[in-house]
Amino acid sequence: MSIDKGQLTKLEEYLWELPRDTRPGMLVPARVYALESLLDAILNDRSLEQLANVATLPGIVKASMVMPDVHEGYGFPIGGVAATRYPDGAISPGGIGYDINCGVRLLVSTLSYNQVKARMEELSKEMYRQVPSGMGKGGFIQLSAKQMDEVLRKGAAWAVEEGYGSPEDLEYTESHGCLPGADPGKVSDQAKKRGRDQLGTIGSGNHFVEVGRVEKIFDEQAAEAYGLKPDQVTILIHTGSRGLGHQVATDYLRIMMSAMPRYGIQPPDRELACVPFNSPEGQDYFKAMCAAANFAWCNREVISWECRKAWANIFGKKGGELRLLYDVAHNIAKVEEHSVDGEKMKVIVHRKGATRAFGPHFGELPDPYRHIGQPVLIPGSMGTASYVLAGTDESMASSFGSTCHGAGRRLSRRGAKKQVDAPRLLKELKKQGIYVQAGSHRGVAEEAPIAYKDVNLVVETVHQAGIAKKVARLRPLGVVKG
Amino acid sequence: MYTIEHLAHTADIRLHLRADSREDLFRAGFEAMNQIIKPDACRKPCPCLFNQTIEVNSVDETTLLIDFLSDVLTLCHEHKAVFCELSLLELNANHLRARLGGRPANGFDEDIKAVTYHEANVQQTDSGEWETPLIFDI
Repeated sequence: MSIDKGQLTKLEEYLWELPRDTRPGMLVPARVYALESLLDAILNDRSLEQLANVATLPGIVKASMVMPDVHEGYGFPIGGVAATRYPDGAISPGGIGYDINCGVRLLVSTLSYNQVKARMEELSKEMYRQVPSGMGKGGFIQLSAKQMDEVLRKGAAWAVEEGYGSPEDLEYTESHGCLPGADPGKVSDQAKKRGRDQLGTIGSGNHFVEVGRVEKIFDEQAAEAYGLKPDQVTILIHTGSRGLGHQVATDYLRIMMSAMPRYGIQPPDRELACVPFNSPEGQDYFKAMCAAANFAWCNREVISWECRKAWANIFGKKGGELRLLYDVAHNIAKVEEHSVDGEKMKVIVHRKGATRAFGPHFGELPDPYRHIGQPVLIPGSMGTASYVLAGTDESMASSFGSTCHGAGRRLSRRGAKKQVDAPRLLKELKKQGIYVQAGSHRGVAEEAPIAYKDVNLVVETVHQAGIAKKVARLRPLGVVKG
Repeated sequence: MYTIEHLAHTADIRLHLRADSREDLFRAGFEAMNQIIKPDACRKPCPCLFNQTIEVNSVDETTLLIDFLSDVLTLCHEHKAVFCELSLLELNANHLRARLGGRPANGFDEDIKAVTYHEANVQQTDSGEWETPLIFDI
């Protein structure tokens, strides 16, 4: 089944719908957030076929949705959001992804661009030294079995207790860096083994640490509340639960594959394997997923400690503190309350490459942010821009409190490697004042700006749709990649 | 005999495997995965430091292939090794027993997060050939 533009109904300038009868088995329509100029790229791959498949998930409510940074994934498209009825709707590991709680955090400094400009190359190299990156690279922490269980239970708080962060960081982290439903006993020994030396490491692929500066402020009030100023130097961290999370997803997909017949579930794609949330298998997976999410938050907390160390090594006391602005997950499932057809109901929200974007007055937010809404962090690519947005009431009403998570790939990795001369790209970026420290030229080519959609258009879509509002744009100065 | 064809995928690696027999289809998947994680690791003969027998039971041939490759991938990560040698001791539609021989790898060239079930569909064509699409999440 392939989908063409003619099958989409335009609901708004930025919102399209595939009707319920697009394919047999769809229980709800499928919605696409995209300006028309982004649609052709979206229709180029199998994203919308995958979105139509998601609309068949047992218990799905309202619509399956994709954000403008959508691209083809496996099972779910990347950029997908699906909410299922609590407690008996489906939970699907494919709706969360293998990198459980892959997410982004933003640290902000007290220094401005002019104060760091002369030492940017040095700072990038020091970041690369302090933050282990690349395939199979372990970190400086070797967790014992007991420590691992504590990390899985406590999340970022474990790192704070061990001296790798401050208690204030927890207040500025989604869910305070810990999902209470975690049960380390539901995480396999193999998964724990894979994670034992991976705290404080970013891994490879599209994961990175990026030093940037605030290039433009769009919303003065929100920027002030978030503590953002023009030309302020920032550090963006993008990574997740590493091998531990990958193994949890692999383990439970296998379990669900055998369990599905017992619940009469036959998804159109095996990677959409799912079980009722309140089934024993569904509960076991959720508890393991929460544990993996906690591992990811702890990982980003330890990486922040490494970044703070690198910063202090270069700037000393004059460098001041690196304050955590916020930390958000973009591969996760959570039980939340949302309005569906005018009624408040509990749902299981799957976000796979989509960011929570809760609006103002959400109780979990720290006091200074509560009147503005939750910060939403959107990384672009290494040569373009990243954004800080704020969650809105509209996202709560329309998209289960969700918005986009990045620029979204448009070129395959092979395609990017064919088109990009990495040494030349590195020189060009250096000319622009962007210092890249990477483990391989191949990795640089695969993640070149040309491989991604225009992040400005993606952000413009969610801004116009009202499912997040623009606060500030960041420009990269230094990038560490695996 | 088997072939491994690379197909387009926006973010991950999509392959199509074709083989003369079920056994060769599994060998093709094994070889394809090694080519991704460490292309040159198995070129030079050297003693295998990790020898392991694995057993996999799955609901059908497709899940058996994916589960088998997932188990090998887990071992690669656990031992930080590449498994170059594969002896299929038993193989039918939903059961596999195999002996693996591996050697240490000084890092991987690609970090495969998972072998996915997406689009996988092991089948024997009218001409007797075995085939399946295969997608790795990277």
